[in-house]
Amino acid sequence: MGPGQVSSRLRLSVVLLVALTLHQSLFVTLRVDDAHPQVMLLVAVVGGLLAGAERGALIGFAAGLLADLFVQTPLGLSALTFALVAFGVGSLQAGIVHTDWWIGPVTAFAASFAGMVLYGVLGAIIGQAHYMSPRLLLAGVGAGAMNAVLAVPVVRAMSWALDGKAAAAYAR
Amino acid sequence: MAVYRRTSRPRFTLLLLVLTAITLLTLDERSNGLGIVDGARDGAQDLFAPVKAAADSVFRPVTDFFDGALHYGDVTAENDRLREQLAERESAMLQAADAAREREALLDLAGLDFVGDIPTVAARVVLTPASGFELTLSIDRGRDAGVAKGMAVVSGGGLVGQVIDVSRTRSTVRLVTDASSNVGVRLAATGETGVAAGRGAGSTLRVDLVDPKTKVDKGEIVVTSGLQNSAYPPGIPVGKVVAATTATGALQQDVTIEPTVDLPRVTFVKVLQWGPAR
Repeated sequence: MGPGQVSSRLRLSVVLLVALTLHQSLFVTLRVDDAHPQVMLLVAVVGGLLAGAERGALIGFAAGLLADLFVQTPLGLSALTFALVAFGVGSLQAGIVHTDWWIGPVTAFAASFAGMVLYGVLGAIIGQAHYMSPRLLLAGVGAGAMNAVLAVPVVRAMSWALDGKAAAAYAR
Repeated sequence: MAVYRRTSRPRFTLLLLVLTAITLLTLDERSNGLGIVDGARDGAQDLFAPVKAAADSVFRPVTDFFDGALHYGDVTAENDRLREQLAERESAMLQAADAAREREALLDLAGLDFVGDIPTVAARVVLTPASGFELTLSIDRGRDAGVAKGMAVVSGGGLVGQVIDVSRTRSTVRLVTDASSNVGVRLAATGETGVAAGRGAGSTLRVDLVDPKTKVDKGEIVVTSGLQNSAYPPGIPVGKVVAATTATGALQQDVTIEPTVDLPRVTFVKVLQWGPAR
């Protein structure tokens, strides 16, 4: 492992901890009905977008596990969901030939919505049937919309953390 | 061969992550509130508590601003309600002696002096639900202050919920409106008992097992029953009846109550140091 990789992991850890702090202290209070920004999910989505499927899945898993430690939902459910979403985004990202700033917000909206729904479905599969409710779709749309707004700064932060050339293209 | 390696490695990594997550989910399910999983959660919450407290104070003005902006209608309505209450209080002060006597009598009658001699721990709400899939809140008192799992949590208006997780300095409270919450209740007017079940994200609870012949009035107070082995002491207000209907041939009434506590806005609570075994 070279010094560049260590430095990138350190920066990524800083971004994850800052995102967690902002999520716990600020974003959970910005509620419209049942929806609020899901910043840890957004970090996973942007991780997949900027770093590709494999690294994105690892980032998503780490972000989800951190989020899991501060809620009472089953431990590992966010980690599983975020890893799958980031992997999906990373796989689709491989097919993108043109990069532009708006790809981040659009991806954030779609993937956050998909992530919320997937969370509900996986939760129902492991016995939390009440996660699947009509409100889930509304919460997903709300979280997706708010995450789309936050995508621009998060893409910048993750670009700094990942310091990849591909990352810079989305952050322009 | 090189192409095969490039395409299979990400999938292999994902498979490992999925298996790890499934292992964690299994451990969490099997630990039942004990063991390494809860230890990790408690440790993380204790470790993060000072950062969270500092961040809360930094972001307070921002959250207050957004709270006002996003809930302007609620704030206006609350302002009107408070003005109305103030006017009523001013009027009531003129008949203070009689009013006080009447109030005492009413409280005794309805059994609403709910805390009584039960020792309490005052706490501040430090975290509202963070996932959208659970209705819990975190309070700034934990084991060190005498809080234990299973204790009831109340505010001035009545029952808030139950402590479901405790670390050294923090506790997690499951709100009565959470879908996994069930509270044994009694209709204050008739004494009929039932079970108030949360409905997840939403503001009302459903009361099951109420006899179809029981007269249930809109606005009637529903309190905890405190029956044997109940997790809550008796007489704590849980909600007010907003609707009660009986379908033809049904074996129970469809009773809906709204919590007496404004749960999304509760900021201070009291943990009742009471257990069913006491």
